Amino acid sequence: MALARLEGFSFAYPGGVPAVRDASLELAPGEVVALLGPSGSGKSTLLRALAGLVPHFHGGRFSGRVVVGGLDTRVHGPAALAGTVATVFQDPENQIVMTRVENEVAFGLENLGVPPGQIWPRVEAALDKVGVAHLATRRTTELSGGELQRVCLASALALEPQLLLLDEPTSQLDGEGADAFLAAVEDAGCAVVICEQRVDRALAIADRVVMVEEGRIVLDAPVCEARAWLSSVRPRYAGGLEAADPVPTAGRGGEVLRIEGAHFAYGGGPEILGGRSVTVRRGEIVALEGRNGSGKTTLAKLAAGLLEPSSGTVARSGRATYLSQDPGRYLVCETVIEEVALGVRGDQARAAAELARFGLEFAICRHPRDLSSGERERLGIAAVAVSEPDLLVLDEPTRGIDPDRKAALASWLLGQAAAGRGVLVATHDPLLPAHTRVRLDAPAEVPVAV
Amino acid sequence: MSPGPATALLAAAAVAAFLVDGIWALAAMATVLLVVCLRAPMERRWLYIGGVVFSAVSVIVISPLTWSSGGGTLLWEGPTLPVIGTLDISSDEIRIAFVNGLRLAVVGLAFTAYTLRVDHDRLVSAAGFARRSALAVALATRLVPSLERDATGFAESVRGRGVALEGVRGYARLLSPLVAGSLERATGLAEAMEARGFGRTGATRAPRPAWTWVDRAALAGAVLLVGVSALWL
Repeated sequence: MALARLEGFSFAYPGGVPAVRDASLELAPGEVVALLGPSGSGKSTLLRALAGLVPHFHGGRFSGRVVVGGLDTRVHGPAALAGTVATVFQDPENQIVMTRVENEVAFGLENLGVPPGQIWPRVEAALDKVGVAHLATRRTTELSGGELQRVCLASALALEPQLLLLDEPTSQLDGEGADAFLAAVEDAGCAVVICEQRVDRALAIADRVVMVEEGRIVLDAPVCEARAWLSSVRPRYAGGLEAADPVPTAGRGGEVLRIEGAHFAYGGGPEILGGRSVTVRRGEIVALEGRNGSGKTTLAKLAAGLLEPSSGTVARSGRATYLSQDPGRYLVCETVIEEVALGVRGDQARAAAELARFGLEFAICRHPRDLSSGERERLGIAAVAVSEPDLLVLDEPTRGIDPDRKAALASWLLGQAAAGRGVLVATHDPLLPAHTRVRLDAPAEVPVAV
Repeated sequence: MSPGPATALLAAAAVAAFLVDGIWALAAMATVLLVVCLRAPMERRWLYIGGVVFSAVSVIVISPLTWSSGGGTLLWEGPTLPVIGTLDISSDEIRIAFVNGLRLAVVGLAFTAYTLRVDHDRLVSAAGFARRSALAVALATRLVPSLERDATGFAESVRGRGVALEGVRGYARLLSPLVAGSLERATGLAEAMEARGFGRTGATRAPRPAWTWVDRAALAGAVLLVGVSALWL
């Protein structure tokens, strides 16, 4: 008997076009399903439907039927489904309720009415399963993004769900962290639906692949069959780690950035960079690589002039702009065109031209927060690129973006380098094109909020 | 100390601040609370303590100039300004300014100690009859550090485009996105809580350690503090 079943399910958010159209799907107990598709294709809506959040939390037009663990989601809301279903969302910071790790994991168990005597043993077992038992008494505000994501997984596993829904759960993790996270998922023993832009890793643990495009399921097949289909029809989603395409080396000019012997520490915290030196020339893409907490972001901020080193020197020739992680979250103006014009002293003609380059001309008068996540990211890039800086500093620009958009970003970066700009990219992504790769060592995990 | 008695003690200090008129009693309370706050991690405490000290000093410095008590010895008389009237400072006004400034400091430091030193999770779970309200208060308390992080992110986003953030107008630009960001965060959190069964009937509580004599003494101290403040200070 199927654990979950979607029958002709369609859903449209209020005032919007259908996010999912006529989806039918069955999930068997213990099955691991990789849910693939471009950003905005309806993957998250499908997950929310399986959790009962659609239509109970997100109102809209719902048709068809979704049954999970024998409960019809039109009748039973997410609270009733909790326990049968557990969800880990993309951004761990937005799902942490309590201030201490053990209490965070206990929160769901308390809500489900688990007998008090069983709560702490289940908390300990869940933390142990994902390898973060040592964090039990730590404050959640003191944890790194990677640690928080593992705590969120422990919170979900503690409920002993029959169905685990994961919405891009490894977006904040480096490669090794993502592997450890997915190993814990694989060991969970329950049915899993994982929506993931790191296709390789998702396919490695999946029994079955479902691909969604423009709200429709275009592929539902066992993983071997799916790999063959993806290779021929959607090669960017087929997985298989390949080296980044060779990067043209010609045309590199004078130095635009030289960091020498940089040291830095946040507040009274430990020293991070250990005398790191980096040079970026015009026309060159330099990738800063390393694990969570290795100092990539700190070095990028030093390069952009947002931080000053405690010792060492930072010399820039020309102007630098900086694109933060999750740029869509940090948009500050009331309209899209103002957002881009901010970087060019309100020059709306220039801003409009830049928006057109990023395919956002339709949104000129809209509020930035009315855009989809993918559109927001493009807007963030347009806002730092519009002033045509000498040095572009980008912090994890591929985080959570789909393979098609990653390819578009790679070609945009090459275009910026070809135009004579220096580009410094902090990234976990080994496939992003770069002329030079600088590897930073990670001393320890660092907090999200330092 | 358990969070319930600790919160009661801090709330008693805040109430006592409004009942007490003596400068030395208020100064003593502020000093004790400052010592408690200084035990919080350096990187978290400076914003709170700095804000409290700035507000209290502002009250002490500005308030004698902006109103007249009509009593005490006149120490200085300045020009007459529209709306405000004649600027003057008397010994009575200085004393009252200190009392009000110290009151503000005590209340601010009590809130700081509650935010930085109390285990809000245990407070929520201890609130058997009003768990939702206690959770709402705990989440609201956590909003401050979240806003601080968001403000840093917004400032970096603007400065990262080569735009300087200067003066009140520069930083005022960040207010609207801060509010919008908080609303988005609140929606995400509400969704995550509902997905984890929040609001379901029959919730239980994880067992917590029983109260010690220190907790009982703290609770008695809280009652005593308010009583003594009302009757004698």
